[in-house]
Amino acid sequence: MSESDAGRNAGRKSARTAVTRRRVITSGVTSAAAVAGTVAALHPLLTAGQPAGPAGAVAVGGPAGSDGSGGDVEVQPALFDEVYRGRRIQGFTDPGEDGVAITVDGEALPVMRRVDGSWISTANHYQPYTTPLATARAAVDVIGRAKLSAAFAQLHHH
Amino acid sequence: MNTRKNQRNLTSTQRTRFVEAVLELKRSGRYEKYVRTHAQYFASDGENGLRVAHMAPTFFPWHRQFVLYFERDLQLIDPSVTVPYWDWTVDDKETSALWSADFMGGNGRDSDGQVMTGPFAYSGGRWPITFGVTDEKYLTRNIGRPDRPIKLPTKAELDGALALGTYDTAPWNSAPDTQGFRNRIEGWTVSETKGGYLHNRVHQWVGGHMIGAASPNDPVFWLHHAFIDLIWVRWQRLHPKSGYLPSEALAGDDPESGRVISADEPMPPWNVKPSEMFDHRPYYQYEE
Repeated sequence: MSESDAGRNAGRKSARTAVTRRRVITSGVTSAAAVAGTVAALHPLLTAGQPAGPAGAVAVGGPAGSDGSGGDVEVQPALFDEVYRGRRIQGFTDPGEDGVAITVDGEALPVMRRVDGSWISTANHYQPYTTPLATARAAVDVIGRAKLSAAFAQLHHH
Repeated sequence: MNTRKNQRNLTSTQRTRFVEAVLELKRSGRYEKYVRTHAQYFASDGENGLRVAHMAPTFFPWHRQFVLYFERDLQLIDPSVTVPYWDWTVDDKETSALWSADFMGGNGRDSDGQVMTGPFAYSGGRWPITFGVTDEKYLTRNIGRPDRPIKLPTKAELDGALALGTYDTAPWNSAPDTQGFRNRIEGWTVSETKGGYLHNRVHQWVGGHMIGAASPNDPVFWLHHAFIDLIWVRWQRLHPKSGYLPSEALAGDDPESGRVISADEPMPPWNVKPSEMFDHRPYYQYEE
């Protein structure tokens, strides 16, 4: 349950520290390796100026320790930014209650946080994922080549 | 008296009349409000604010009222129509008559998930998706999730949930340690390989629109939730001394105060109290 515990901590705004965020990112890498069949489809697209993560799996956030708790005023680097099955998926930390913002080809994929720290998205409303990256990839698995609806995102995000 | 039947027992005429009423509700534009309402009231328990439709004890009474309003809308079109239920512990295959071309239509095709048969196929011109998670105009399904196959819940799994004598427990959310009948049926205790449990897994098994925030775009949504509603009826029969919980409004210092609706507090968007929905018999009966 360590992933779940890390996620639960990350869910509390006051606890959204650099350490917690790195934990979330780390579990994303683990999850990526665990999902059979997706690795071949994974084409990492590292954002310029960002250090490559372990094994180059995902683009990780800024230098460790650069953002203490409450220091979320600067523009946040991407949590991940990759092309997955032909779609560009990006994740960012977000000051809102979900803690993360996800886009698919630039369109917002509304996400919600569960009490155990996992996420559900509008594309997968009945299946939670423990990391933002897994949430984004699973959404692409479902929507295929279809474009996310801006009108729906607007209604859904209360 | 309105009688809801198992979909497998409908006559051919009853199947056709249900389908035609749904299509007419779509044509009139009144179907979309159900898609919107469902998306709007899907609040999650890791966020702040009131939860009413999911991850909360009102999961059962909220959906009872939701299906009932839908049924009444259909009856304005055809008074003989009621919402049938789909017992997915029995009709658990893609070959079930549920998915035949005179009823729900079949699976989505491989390339884009588009449903190609039945009254709700896009090619028929009567079921355009106007309000979905994506801009796709056609209904989609992905029955059984073939890339990572899952099975519908079994009778044994359902019976295990029905055996739970407590309706719901604090903190009234979706966490795996929130024990009780409601959370077990909803199915948030996560098993990704199984596709979740019970209610959630049925959404996953159908795939396509059924797994997103716009799940009522697939008319099978109503047959699934009519069975969820019947499951609540069966639980009440099995546990006549157990009632809806929380029975009284939570104390102001309870972290869930203002987030969970007790028996006699109004449920948005209709301001109906859960207690008004405890007994289905004033509204309809089930033929089992």
